[in-house]
Amino acid sequence: MSYISEVRESFKAGDSLATVVVPANDYRDITLEIVSKLLGSKLGGIYVTTSRPATHVVAEMKERKASLNDLYFVDMISLTVGGETGDPRTVFIDSPTMLESVLLNVGLLERRIKAKRHFVMFDSVNGLSIYSDTRMLKEFMNVLANTMRLRKTYTMMLTVAEQTPPELESVLVTLSDRMIRGEAGDG
Amino acid sequence: MKATPVKLDPRGGRPREKSKTYIEGLDRMLNGGIPIGNTSLLAGTVGSGKTTLAMEFLINGAKHGETTCYISVTEPSSKMLENLRTYGFFDDSLVTEGKLNIFDLGIINDRLGVERLDGSYSSKDMEALLGAFEDIVDELQATRLVIDSITAVCYQLPDRGSIRNFIFRLGQFLATFGCTTLLISETIVDASTQTYSIFGVEEAVADGVILMGNVQRQGDLLRTMQIIKMRGAKHSRARHLVELTPIGLSVVPLLKWGQETGTMFS
Repeated sequence: MSYISEVRESFKAGDSLATVVVPANDYRDITLEIVSKLLGSKLGGIYVTTSRPATHVVAEMKERKASLNDLYFVDMISLTVGGETGDPRTVFIDSPTMLESVLLNVGLLERRIKAKRHFVMFDSVNGLSIYSDTRMLKEFMNVLANTMRLRKTYTMMLTVAEQTPPELESVLVTLSDRMIRGEAGDG
Repeated sequence: MKATPVKLDPRGGRPREKSKTYIEGLDRMLNGGIPIGNTSLLAGTVGSGKTTLAMEFLINGAKHGETTCYISVTEPSSKMLENLRTYGFFDDSLVTEGKLNIFDLGIINDRLGVERLDGSYSSKDMEALLGAFEDIVDELQATRLVIDSITAVCYQLPDRGSIRNFIFRLGQFLATFGCTTLLISETIVDASTQTYSIFGVEEAVADGVILMGNVQRQGDLLRTMQIIKMRGAKHSRARHLVELTPIGLSVVPLLKWGQETGTMFS
């Protein structure tokens, strides 16, 4: 089954948290494909980016002619690298170490979403692991997973298959309702 | 014989009526808000967000129809107003409609009929100052008050006994009026001891202590808040993160592993 099919099935099944394990080579394509297709299904969305500026993601989405009307961003990287920070649909976090700000700002952005149902895309666990140690990351993921479960928000945690250490993967398996791995060659 | 069911609420009893702060996350920490009539210290170092939080407490109350009052001991009210206009949650009409009243020491001095009050207060001056605060709250029928800062007032009082007496009597009459009050207290960083005030007596007399501070995480400074005590309320004692958002301050629990040992500045 393709990644987007598995995600749709997971969403329909009422899952709260799914981990999407993506191979490094296809990472961008698969990620953008999932978001574009979900937005095309009249869902609203929040895209949390830890590894690329939101402006970059927006540009790629526009290239795919994705509907961006109801997509908002939490950008954890632009202020660190001196990127553009003027986009009104994006909340910029001071530093990628400020993990609590993500929870707080996702909650605020959820109030702006117009669609009845929405998703949160967390791109990616590996991006966060650059700035926070495993112990803290485990705590954050535990808090994030349970917060989203309580809010009944469908959340996807993206991980790069080749870069996820077994300890972190085991935490994701425990916390997630479903591990989505797609099939070889999926885009 | 049937066993009596055990109550799960450790406090039990009937909760006091609360003054909601309407600050995202804080009312949950306070189990509904600050008990009406409580006088609490809002303590913290420079830049920890005390004035912003106190102002939002007043503005949110004013937006819900209450009459609120801010007494600035250290800054002219005009400058305070200019700073307030930079916040999205502020609305000028609250001032023009008399829901948010801002006074500075110059206005208080006029009420006291003295030209200056920048030396040591005599007991007569202290009585006059208490009388002035009482008049302001009574005349306006204010239900929320902030004094910024109580530390600056305390510097004028001759000894710790006078400070204790001043805050105790201030709290007494404000409770009578049902006026919920925040006294802003400046603290200094001391690695070995946690302090809630400069003189060390204010926290003993106050009904509550809300501590604001900073923690370092890999060199980044995060604003924090912790409720140390709040008479009449079952409250959280966990440390929380405070952030200024477009809707005002928001508070969320701080991650436990993200607090570097020995680098907390309150």
